[in-house]
Amino acid sequence: MEENLKIEILFPEFCNLYGDISNMKYLKKCLPKASFIETAFDEEPHFVKEDVNFIYLGPMTESRQEKVIKKLAPYKERIEQLINENVIFLITGNAIEIFGKYIENEDSSKIEALGIFNIYAKRDMLHRHNSIFIGEWEETKIVGFKSQFTFSYGENTNCYFAKVEKGVGLNKESTLEGIQKNNFIATYLIGPILILNPYFTQKIIQKMGIEEPKIAFQADVIKAYEQRLKEFETL
Amino acid sequence: MKHNFKFYFAFYLAKLSIIALKIIGRDASQFPGKLAITLCPNFLEQIGKPQTIIAVTGTNGKTTVCNMIEDCLRENGYKFIDNQLGSNTNSGIASTFIKGAKLSGKQKKDLAVFEIDERSAIRVYPYVKPTYLICTNLFRDSLMRNAHTEFISNMLSTNIPKETKLILNGDDLIVSNLSPENKRVYFGISHLETDTDTCENIARDIIVCPKCDSKLEYDFVRYNHIGRAHCSKCDFASPKIDYEATSVDFENKKMTIKHENEEEQYDLISNNIINIYNMLATITLMKELGLTREQINPILSKQKIVDTRYSKEIVGNIELITQLSKGMNPIACSRAFDYVRKETGNKAVFVLLDDLHEAANGSENIAWHYDTDFEFLKDDSIKQILTAGARYLDTKVRLQMADIPMEKVICQRDEITLVEKLKLEGIDKIFILHDLYSMDLKNEIKEKVKKKIQEELEQKLEEKQEEK
Repeated sequence: MEENLKIEILFPEFCNLYGDISNMKYLKKCLPKASFIETAFDEEPHFVKEDVNFIYLGPMTESRQEKVIKKLAPYKERIEQLINENVIFLITGNAIEIFGKYIENEDSSKIEALGIFNIYAKRDMLHRHNSIFIGEWEETKIVGFKSQFTFSYGENTNCYFAKVEKGVGLNKESTLEGIQKNNFIATYLIGPILILNPYFTQKIIQKMGIEEPKIAFQADVIKAYEQRLKEFETL
Repeated sequence: MKHNFKFYFAFYLAKLSIIALKIIGRDASQFPGKLAITLCPNFLEQIGKPQTIIAVTGTNGKTTVCNMIEDCLRENGYKFIDNQLGSNTNSGIASTFIKGAKLSGKQKKDLAVFEIDERSAIRVYPYVKPTYLICTNLFRDSLMRNAHTEFISNMLSTNIPKETKLILNGDDLIVSNLSPENKRVYFGISHLETDTDTCENIARDIIVCPKCDSKLEYDFVRYNHIGRAHCSKCDFASPKIDYEATSVDFENKKMTIKHENEEEQYDLISNNIINIYNMLATITLMKELGLTREQINPILSKQKIVDTRYSKEIVGNIELITQLSKGMNPIACSRAFDYVRKETGNKAVFVLLDDLHEAANGSENIAWHYDTDFEFLKDDSIKQILTAGARYLDTKVRLQMADIPMEKVICQRDEITLVEKLKLEGIDKIFILHDLYSMDLKNEIKEKVKKKIQEELEQKLEEKQEEK
């Protein structure tokens, strides 16, 4: 089963900020027999013509966001189809904004995005938001970090990723973090979230059809997770 | 510029605060400037400036380059003001101006040397217009503050004054494209034997052409995005280097610098590539200022990297090296790891990179661990890796992600007792890699390591005597 899994990493040459690409390196260690496809920006995404089990898109610079939107725009319907077919998407950091309606600059100019979800982002390049995060997702506590110039607004009441217990959601007033529809998960959390959240990773792998997943360095990642959760709860 | 009442009020109060802070024995390198800017928001615009302002910015090497520049200028009789002891933000620069100003608000000296934090560009350059601005390099730095290199390079390009002459690292494709309309000279190092065709670093911020998005073809890679490249489809390429180290002799510690068909030889202060770039930046500025090799080389060749950044001593028959490896700065740490693996002999390495402030007051964001090349520590010559601190469990996972055999690794919470686990048998060199904010910790560990080496030596002597 594992050897049949196809995981597509979109544009790793620049959607790789904040150590997020380590999520895929970790997944490779958890699923050593699976196929990992790295799709470069000048290539057609593999998911357009082939079935894949997992699609990953990591954070990028603001100018790259615009290019990625243009690149993915012709495949909007295909992306929606894959979401409806329960394909797993993991979208981290500001990559979430690609799937919203638009991104608004400080001068009120707007960059149209894919418009798959009813959210929009506002940039404030002079103020960077940094915070820790605890949230609840499918009865699992998610821990992580946020570091961003943007917040998103709009409607995610029926399609959020995690309920905020500490930190902020889509924006400072929101208690609901990210977007989830079927197995499409998009979150502003950055960094090695699969490494920081072993129980989340286990469930994601289960969703790919592995009934009893064994994650890499299980005992040590769980210890690190428990320590972080305890620390975050006291902060 | 005419001064208003607000300015004089802020200026005199700030001047008085310097005296008051001195009386009570407190640091006066930041507060006076902060006070002045709070009272008079355009204080930096109004305060008198020296005729010539030299500024140094970039992710790594700012302080070292400033130290080198200041030594060269001082030894050649120049009088200047600087922010060497203070902050490199707008308030530190304002404090320096306040200290250096007469009561009229005009400067006593005609020259200033400033280290300027990249992130402060927006608050400094609209008011302080450097005559020369050196940019050493631009890399991923603290993601919480600096986000990414595009953000920083845009901030610099938007704010660097038109009239400033740039002295840029031409081997850094991000730096070499700063403020394209400004006058500039480039420094760089021609191909070295150690350069490669492919990059083995995790963090690479310029893989595709910024003009047309085609893949860049690297003529050679030195580290991360340092090297020379050209676009396969358009005219984007590394610039022509004006001051180029054409032959670097690491063994004899010499380099030849070529400028406009003239070649000059300089002594290297270390064989660390980062320090060669730092020297090149300094020499380029000095030549632009009109100094001769004879005025530059004798001073630079006497330079020593300050103890807080690097130290080496021999204890018994073991070399003990401390190396600053700024936490949250993936490239600085990766360079330190690369340096350790490339040194000769069998090595033990202390890795103490946790941010002690975060450890005391928060929980450090360890995303930067995964932009850092811990993989470089997977080397047969590295026999033991000793790591401790608040994030020891995260570091343990990171080392496993780097495929480092865990039997080589000691990983625990307490830093000081780590020394007890150090195995000296067969070790030629011990490295202590430490964060900027853990100087006391580094010193304590260093002393304990020295004591351990000496005790083992004494024990061996005693055993030999007993055998006799």
